Amino acid sequence: MVIALPLASATFLHFFGRRIGEPRAGYLATLAVAGSFALGLGAGLPFFSGGAHATVVTIWEWMPAIGAELVITWDPLSVLMTLIITGVGALIHLYAVGYMHGDERFSRFFVYLNLFVASMLTLVLAGNFAMLFMGWELVGLCSYLLVSFWFTKPVAAAAGKKAFIVNRIGDLGFLVALMLIFGAFHTLSFQGIFERAPEVLSSGMATAIGLLILVGAAGKSAQIPLYVWLPDAMEGPTPVSALIHAATMVTAGVYVIARSASIFELSPVAGPVVATVGAATALWAATIALAQKDIKRVLAYSTISQLGYMFLAVGAAGHIAGLFHLMTHAFFKALLFLGAGSVIHAMADEQNMDKMGGLRKHMPVTATTMAIGTIAIAGIPPLAGFWSKDEILGVAFARGGWFSVLWIVGLVTALLTAFYMTRQFVLVFMGEPRWESEVHPHESPRVMTLPLVVLAVLSVIGGFFNTPFRTALEHFLEPSFEGVNLAHPPEGWLMFALLAGLSVAAGLAGAAAAFFAYNRPADLWRRFEEAFGPLWSLWRSGYRVDDIYGATVVKPGLRLAEETAFRFDLPVIDGAVNGAGRLVRTVASRARAMQPGLVRSYGVVFAGGTVAVLAWLVWRGG
Amino acid sequence: MITPPEINWLAILPLLVLGLGAAVVLLVDVQWKPAPGRLNFLAVVILGLAALGTGAQGWWLGRHEAGEVTGSPLPFGGMVVIDRYAIFAGLLLVTVAALGVGAGARFFESLGRRAAEGLALLLLSTSGFILLASTTQMVMMFLGLEIGSISLYVLAGFSRQEPRSEEAAIKYFLLGSFASAIFVYGVALVFAGTGSLDLLDHRTLLDREIILRPAVLLIGLGLVVVGLAFKVTAAPFHAWAPDVYQGAPAGTVGFMAALAKVGGFAALARVLVTGFESYIGTWGTVVAAMAVLSMLLGSFLAVVQSDFRRLLAYSGVAHAGFILTGVVAGTSGVGSIWFYLAVYAIQLVGAYAVVAAVSGAASAGSPLASYAGLARRQPLLARALTILLLGMAGIPLTSGFIAKFGVFQDAFRAGFGWLVVVAMVASVVSFFIYLRVIVAMYMQEPEGTEALSVSRPLRVVLVAAIAVTLVLGLFPIPLLRLTAISLPL
Repeated sequence: MVIALPLASATFLHFFGRRIGEPRAGYLATLAVAGSFALGLGAGLPFFSGGAHATVVTIWEWMPAIGAELVITWDPLSVLMTLIITGVGALIHLYAVGYMHGDERFSRFFVYLNLFVASMLTLVLAGNFAMLFMGWELVGLCSYLLVSFWFTKPVAAAAGKKAFIVNRIGDLGFLVALMLIFGAFHTLSFQGIFERAPEVLSSGMATAIGLLILVGAAGKSAQIPLYVWLPDAMEGPTPVSALIHAATMVTAGVYVIARSASIFELSPVAGPVVATVGAATALWAATIALAQKDIKRVLAYSTISQLGYMFLAVGAAGHIAGLFHLMTHAFFKALLFLGAGSVIHAMADEQNMDKMGGLRKHMPVTATTMAIGTIAIAGIPPLAGFWSKDEILGVAFARGGWFSVLWIVGLVTALLTAFYMTRQFVLVFMGEPRWESEVHPHESPRVMTLPLVVLAVLSVIGGFFNTPFRTALEHFLEPSFEGVNLAHPPEGWLMFALLAGLSVAAGLAGAAAAFFAYNRPADLWRRFEEAFGPLWSLWRSGYRVDDIYGATVVKPGLRLAEETAFRFDLPVIDGAVNGAGRLVRTVASRARAMQPGLVRSYGVVFAGGTVAVLAWLVWRGG
Repeated sequence: MITPPEINWLAILPLLVLGLGAAVVLLVDVQWKPAPGRLNFLAVVILGLAALGTGAQGWWLGRHEAGEVTGSPLPFGGMVVIDRYAIFAGLLLVTVAALGVGAGARFFESLGRRAAEGLALLLLSTSGFILLASTTQMVMMFLGLEIGSISLYVLAGFSRQEPRSEEAAIKYFLLGSFASAIFVYGVALVFAGTGSLDLLDHRTLLDREIILRPAVLLIGLGLVVVGLAFKVTAAPFHAWAPDVYQGAPAGTVGFMAALAKVGGFAALARVLVTGFESYIGTWGTVVAAMAVLSMLLGSFLAVVQSDFRRLLAYSGVAHAGFILTGVVAGTSGVGSIWFYLAVYAIQLVGAYAVVAAVSGAASAGSPLASYAGLARRQPLLARALTILLLGMAGIPLTSGFIAKFGVFQDAFRAGFGWLVVVAMVASVVSFFIYLRVIVAMYMQEPEGTEALSVSRPLRVVLVAAIAVTLVLGLFPIPLLRLTAISLPL
């Protein structure tokens, strides 16, 4: 039912959207998503009071023999994901009504957006891997459609294609993982798999499956080395970036790993690898984000970096910390993206931060909410980002060993995060105006600012769902991880104060450094950036990874494709196919020419077949 | 003292209804000379009554199993049988025949006064195949086979202005007689080997004792299998099918092919499973070989056809091979065979109904070129045919996929893994066959520009066939449950 509502709305808008007209189509779509939020909340209530048990609802039996059915798992984990998706989704739908104002394909946009929400819900509510994979592919498709929504822009079309191809690589890994799972368990149903995982899987098998799932998750959640599509995906409309590429779809990888916790637990290697990939990505993307000029690209790399944190958490078996960060991140990153969209809207589609500055006075609501988002992501208490990030770092610290290294990486990343976010804020909202004279920035309409305010409130209070003092979220989620050894942050006041103090210090230091570096006239901070020399331009170009991939993977790939198409396929395959066809034709026409009295020759074939059957039977049985 | 055989009229109720119905159709025509459309309607009503009769059998069987009524499920001295297998076959055959009347409505109307004869033949043919499926007596099987087939021979030549139609009828008749003769000879040899004509006796006999030199029995069994393989167009006994299904009137081909396939497979599976399952190690290989030959020949030859009806005939050979893949599994494959047959038979009637609409109901032949650009001339037909062909190709989310999956799974479990591999290759090849037609319908320019009309009965047939393809593709469980219990006695 939760899925059906946005799906029905998408179908309806697909057929009648044009007739309904502009604002109403958007409001209908928003209502549908808000409706499924309400439903999800209602159905999830028993879990909040702690009285409910996870239930599995079979909606539709397709092929029960292999566990491919539409089965919904309704447990705290899926409740949490549902509420995030529909809650944040509804706000972003509302925002999009304002943002997409005047677009020719306004209602089509909401069709895709609703379809995306429905697919994403399919993914997180799935009760087996078959359905999960279906949702997984559907969100990929929606992402592709929405990234290249403005397909007349060649950049947007290319970005969509890139996202699609890179995701295919990840999906391949995921698909192989599913085959291995099916091979081992003879079912794809979650219940059947996770309950029996310890008996069935050897640790080697668990490692193989875990790493393959990681490949899939890295594709979808933009981790090293498959993150390259996400920055380009920013060519899509900003609400799309907020919904798909920040708050929901990209977290699917984290969700899958958390869901498969009992598989990862069996492998001594898979978890640490996930955590390492996450930490490396976090640091790598944070350095790139430092030097970006485009307001959305900063946020894109920041998203990759934050997703790295989540991977670090789930890899260290701190699933609850990871999901907690997933939730708070959904709040403040959606807020930041929508704020950025509001700025872009106001600046007549200008995304270069060099041409902004001083916008605080013109857009007070956007500036205030963006400030809250910045503080939240920078990890300064008592805002949401602090609590979740601190929990992740605590988990990593508590695991010790190799994870201590990852903890330090995380700490450095926290500093960098505070730096680049403050840099962005200062460049956009403070200092002197640097925009061209014909631009007249203005505050966005109410439909756009309202979601900003709501998200800002959530970014402030979102952290209190799970503090060391009040572990509400942990209690809530625990039933989903029954039988899994969860890692926890270290206990005790002193430890907490020490660790928290360190990360807050890192955050504050980063923020202060950025503030002093950038809150001055433009030529001064330009000189500051130039002081880094080639390093800065390396960061700005994202370590030239796109060029490297282009030279090493794309170009040889293209050549290979051309070679196969023209050298191999044309003469060899086509030749073989045509030859086979010709052969059959020749034989057939010979056969035809051979038969003046058709019936007689049919009879001969018939008799020959009969004799063959009898000969075999007598030889074998008689 | 001779005990009089037990009489249970219920057991032959559908046959009585159909036989008397055929007479009624003829008499009504003589007496009142109704419009041909009315006669079609009357035939459907009679088929509906026959379905009710079959339903009554089911009701009786349920009460009998609960011990509420006495009486044997083998009345008339065991000449006919009431079991779930026969009931499912009866319902399926009656449904196919009713859809066949819808698909051939135009044709029967065009026949004028001869419509009554055509419809009577259709009803008789249906009754024959029902008898074929609902007896364990081999002589009764022969009777059913002949009643069913001879009616079809006549129907194949029913379109007098088409010389190709007459040619088809002659060919069908000659080769069919050949097959029948082989079948009867096989029955005689089985009798010589076992001393009985009843499959149930064969089972008890083979369970109890080992026949030391079973050559006579096996030759008999082989001949029986060949005779039935002819009916279901399994290679290498398929050669007649393309010619006949190309030449016979388009309005009748659908149910001709579907009735013969359902009836033939019902009998084939019953003979092999009920009577001779203990010889499965011997006949399994023969059936598997026929399956391979049918799938490969059917699929590859269908690729090079330029006439859509020949193409469907060859694809029918391939489908016979796929169903035989389920037969090798013995009893455990019966459910999948039924599912496959039910789905395929109805799709087949639907596909030939489109042929009748495109090429004319009385036509012989249907060149592929006339399907070019069908999507523009008559989008409804193009869409319907696309769905049906995708179903036949076995694309997931159509019932064809579930059907293929079922027979493959059963064959795999029965230890015929290699056969499943061949079957998968063949089903990939067969996908190209159907794709070619779909591409022609959507991507090519139409030949003529005149729009094609779709009559109301035809519309009903198409909707039913599409529903079977899509609804059963999404919700196969109810039918799977039903077919799983439709086992022979």
